[in-house]
Amino acid sequence: MRLHRVRLRDFRGVHDREVSLAEHGVTVLQGDNEVGKTSTLVALDLLFDAADSSRRAEIRAAQPAGVDAGPEVEAEVSTGPYRFVYRKRWLRRPRTELHVTAPAPEQLTGADAHARVTAILDETMDRALWRGLRVEQNSVVGQADLGGQDALTRALDRAASGPGVARADPSVDDGLIERAAEELRRYRTPSGRATGELRAAEVRLADAEAEEARCRAALDAVERDVAARDRLDADAAALRARKHAHTAEVTGLEDTWAALQSRLREVDAARQHAVLARERADAARERRETRDALIAAAEDEAATAARAAEAVAAHEAEHAAARDERDARRAADTTARARAGEARRAADAAERAVSAARDRAELADLAERLRRVDEAAAGLAVAERALAASTVNADALDELEDLARDVVRAEAARDAAAARVELAVPEDAGELTVVVDGETVVLAPGGSRTLPVAGSRALSLPGVLDVRVTPGLDDAGRDDAVRERSRALAEACEELGVADLDAARAARRDAEDAARRADEHRAALARELAGHGDAPALRAAHDAVRSRLPDDGTPTTPADVTELRAAADTARADAEDAAHRADEADAACRSAEDTVREADTRAAVLAERAAEARHAHTRRLEELDAARVAEPDATLAEAETTRLARARVAEREHEAMAAALADDDPDTVEARVLNARAVAERLSGEGARLEREHAETTGRLQAAGLAGWHDQLAAAELELDAAVREHTAVARRAAAARRLHETLTRHRERVRRSYVAPFRAQVERLARIVFGPSLALEIDEDLRITHRTLHGTTVPFGALSSGAQEQLGLCARLACAALVDPSEGVPVVIDDALGHSDPERLARLGAVFTAATSAHGAAQVVVLTCTPERYHGIGAATVVPLAPSRRPGERAASERSGPEVIRGAEDTPAATPGTVLDLPRTHRAG
Amino acid sequence: MRFVHTADWQLGMTRRILGARPPKEAGGLTGEAQARFAEARLDAVRALGRLADAQDAAFVLVCGDVFESNLVGPDVVARACEALGSFRTPVLLLPGNHDPADAACVLRRPDFVRRRPAHVRVLDTPGVHEIVPGVEVVAAPWRSKYPLTDLVGEQLAVLEPAPAGTLRVLAGHGELDVLDPDDDEPARIRRDGVLAALADGRVHYAALGDRHSAWTDAVDDRIRHAGTPEVTDFDEIDPGHVLVVDLDERAARVTTETVGRWRFVRHDAALDTDADLDALDARLAALPDKERTAVRLALVGTLSLRQRSRLDDLLAGHGLAFAAVEVVEQHSDLATVPDDADLHELDLHGFAADAATELFAAAAPAEGTGDAESRDALRLLHRLVGSPR
Repeated sequence: MRLHRVRLRDFRGVHDREVSLAEHGVTVLQGDNEVGKTSTLVALDLLFDAADSSRRAEIRAAQPAGVDAGPEVEAEVSTGPYRFVYRKRWLRRPRTELHVTAPAPEQLTGADAHARVTAILDETMDRALWRGLRVEQNSVVGQADLGGQDALTRALDRAASGPGVARADPSVDDGLIERAAEELRRYRTPSGRATGELRAAEVRLADAEAEEARCRAALDAVERDVAARDRLDADAAALRARKHAHTAEVTGLEDTWAALQSRLREVDAARQHAVLARERADAARERRETRDALIAAAEDEAATAARAAEAVAAHEAEHAAARDERDARRAADTTARARAGEARRAADAAERAVSAARDRAELADLAERLRRVDEAAAGLAVAERALAASTVNADALDELEDLARDVVRAEAARDAAAARVELAVPEDAGELTVVVDGETVVLAPGGSRTLPVAGSRALSLPGVLDVRVTPGLDDAGRDDAVRERSRALAEACEELGVADLDAARAARRDAEDAARRADEHRAALARELAGHGDAPALRAAHDAVRSRLPDDGTPTTPADVTELRAAADTARADAEDAAHRADEADAACRSAEDTVREADTRAAVLAERAAEARHAHTRRLEELDAARVAEPDATLAEAETTRLARARVAEREHEAMAAALADDDPDTVEARVLNARAVAERLSGEGARLEREHAETTGRLQAAGLAGWHDQLAAAELELDAAVREHTAVARRAAAARRLHETLTRHRERVRRSYVAPFRAQVERLARIVFGPSLALEIDEDLRITHRTLHGTTVPFGALSSGAQEQLGLCARLACAALVDPSEGVPVVIDDALGHSDPERLARLGAVFTAATSAHGAAQVVVLTCTPERYHGIGAATVVPLAPSRRPGERAASERSGPEVIRGAEDTPAATPGTVLDLPRTHRAG
Repeated sequence: MRFVHTADWQLGMTRRILGARPPKEAGGLTGEAQARFAEARLDAVRALGRLADAQDAAFVLVCGDVFESNLVGPDVVARACEALGSFRTPVLLLPGNHDPADAACVLRRPDFVRRRPAHVRVLDTPGVHEIVPGVEVVAAPWRSKYPLTDLVGEQLAVLEPAPAGTLRVLAGHGELDVLDPDDDEPARIRRDGVLAALADGRVHYAALGDRHSAWTDAVDDRIRHAGTPEVTDFDEIDPGHVLVVDLDERAARVTTETVGRWRFVRHDAALDTDADLDALDARLAALPDKERTAVRLALVGTLSLRQRSRLDDLLAGHGLAFAAVEVVEQHSDLATVPDDADLHELDLHGFAADAATELFAAAAPAEGTGDAESRDALRLLHRLVGSPR
């Protein structure tokens, strides 16, 4: 396919623009951003793909903003033998027009036009390749998916086959593999499981086998039942025969058994007779034995009576000995008792002696105490009298003492207030005698004496001088007071009957002494009278003791008492000892008494026994005599003998009969009879079982007959046969499909491997322009570059720099375009790629473009760019600058006016490409 | 005395070649031939009944295998009774090896007994049966599937010569020892015994069944197999008849009457050229009554891929008209060998051509046996190439 021109109207930002493209080689469409380069590509896709009625997102996005007009695209295209102009408008008044100019003119509109174009493109163009050889804007130029491209494959096929090998109609194998795979998918899933027809056949086969097996099993069961019925019939017949034979045997046995039974009864009667006779013999023997026992008992009892009499006699001696012993014990007891009385009396005398001695001692003590009591009572009386005589009690004395102190105080007051007369004797003078108020005072040399002058005082140096000192008036008063006091004192003394204070004090002391003495005597009295209460009682005690004592006047001493006490103790011990012996003798005596009593009792018992034995013996003898009178001993013995003989006869008879019966073996006969009856029963049971099984089998057979198993089996077999055949056929077809697919795939792989070489040669030719002559590439069967080797270094494609990947990807596409047959080729469209390539590489890429498109009839290459310097290196490029195509109202003044319509690009291909036409909007198509 | 001798009705029989019941999901009439075949067997019964009525026969003697099995369904029994009721000549049914008088015997089954027309009599007990005064039938019925003696011989051994004026017909079922000299089979009918009985007048005619082909003894033509009245298999000789027997004490005059309408045709053909194919085509086209004809083909030869396709188409086309067309594998030796013309016709290029060449090589019958799978693959390739998307 080749694009000759593309016209856009009201498409995105483009108002109306027509671009003509060079038919061969590179066309560079350059322009600023948003000028509508990519829109051209989008418009072409929509033109070919979208029906005019479509409202898909890309179409709605293509409608220009704010304008009531549908986007419209027109393209002039040649492909294969066709050349046509194709125009479409969407959204507003949709329309499709097709004008085919070659090979035959054709005019179509609407859906017919769309269908026709689709058919033409499908017929002549590899649309996958058209997509594969395009580089979109803003995407890294990577590997194109070229492996499945038919046009490329054919080109490579040509290259691989070498020149000169012409192939007729190469379209035959188009999609052959796909159809083979489709065929295979009818039978197997991609994972190899059976599906579709094959699966259905397998299921049918399995079902048919199951059904056939089911029917056959049922039929076999019926066959078995038929055989079982035959067997049952035979068994029943045999059983009837056996039953018949057995009945005869049973009858014979039963007869024998009946005869034997009557004989059995006879034997039984004989046995009973024998038993009876034996019983009678036994009875006679028992009576005889009873008589014998009676005689023996009488003899025994006689012996017993004799033994009892002997025992009585033997006990008599023992009895007498016991009595003697008792008498001896009694005498000993009397003696012991007398001795004990004596000893007790001696002890009592000793006790009394001790008591008398102790009384005497007590009497002496009591006499002494009486004397001391008398003394104390006398002293107490004296003291109490003295006490009673005393007038000065303690209070009176205290009063006197107070009065005396008042006197002294009065005197002191007086003396203190009174003048003093000091008498002093010089040192050198001799001793001086002074009389003061009548009192002589001797003063030593150097001594002095002071005298108060309370009243008048008289001093006298005998012989020398008398001095009277009289106090003044005041002093006299004080002196009166003293006197007053003194008088009061004197009166009090007088009242008390004492001379003065000192006398009073003395009297007081005397009274106190008397009181103390009285207390002492009372204490003595109390002490002595302790235990007796008062003196008369003491005296009474004393008198009592004295009255007890024989007035022998023997003095006693404590030593005597001790001695007497020891003697008394000894006597007491003797008395106790004697009493003890007396008790022992008494006990012995009593024991002997008991023995005598026991002997008495025993004698009585023995006598009783002897009497009883005698009595029993007497009675037994009477019994024996009575029995003998009734039946003499001899009669009894004779009866015993007779009956024993009879019993033996009966027993022998029975034994003989039993032996005769045993010879005929009745046990065996009975066992046989019983067995025969059991056999008959078993045969009946067998017959019942056979009948039951027969009935069951017959029932099953009747049911089976109505089930029509033969028909079912026949149908199942037919179905199985058909299923087997169908399965075989389908399995064969499936195997064939797999074989064909496998073979085709294998050969395609092989061919693809052979395609790699020419493709690689072409890619390497172009890539060496960029990378230098040392470049080598590895390309796989899907025609992908896997490794690049440069200067001997091999690097995986994915590890290459973005720039290198971009350059290799471009080389691969251009190689593709160069390889594909011109009549089948499609334009290579590169939308602003090579952003990763440096200027040096860009320059070399220019050469690549040229090299790829230089051949005659080479592919059409369209480059869209906003950076035209990237593509300056392409020598043979046709450059088409694009300017914004605005609506008339917004058109810039700088743009050239007047559209230039150029059609028929094929006329002057070198001149017309690169022309941009802004068409006047005077007319709208449709 | 005239009677009709027949045997081996095999009512309830199905034939594999006539196809199966159609699978549920599949349409078509795959099993319809089977149904028509079953109907044809009943038609034959009705036809021989009409014949007996028309010929004023004393009775119709069926020598065994009235039913295909004792276990046929009640529908088969009911339809058989209907067919028997369509005429009035008395019918004597002898249990054979397919319907022996064992515990499951269909002739004693309640559904048969209930529906049995009055003129139908079952000879399920061995011995002499008086049919009409002066006519007796000596029955030797099968009592189990696997008898251990010559049942006919057993009956003949205890038989006294027939009273004067009485005609006796022996009714037996089984192969004569001269027809199938298999020593291991104890139930074979001793021909000598039968001949002796005929000679000394114990019986006057030996009516036999079990052999679906008609047969007459070379020594005494009173020993006969009637054959099946409607064909049952490809190997039967002259089936589809009943025998009308006019009997007296000395001889039997036997007329063969046709009642069967179906044919089982076996055809052996050598196929190597297109002419052979043409001949086969013509041969099949020439067969009459195709809807009542089953064809079994034994094909021998070598065909190219294209010829094989033609054969397949040819057989498929005839299969539509015939009751059945079958290529029997075990008797066929048909090789498909692709030739250069086949390869050229494919008109392939590139790897597809290489793949086709490889398959051709594999399919070529080097060493005698070609690779069937590769031939199938080639045929598929043929089809795929011939039917572009």
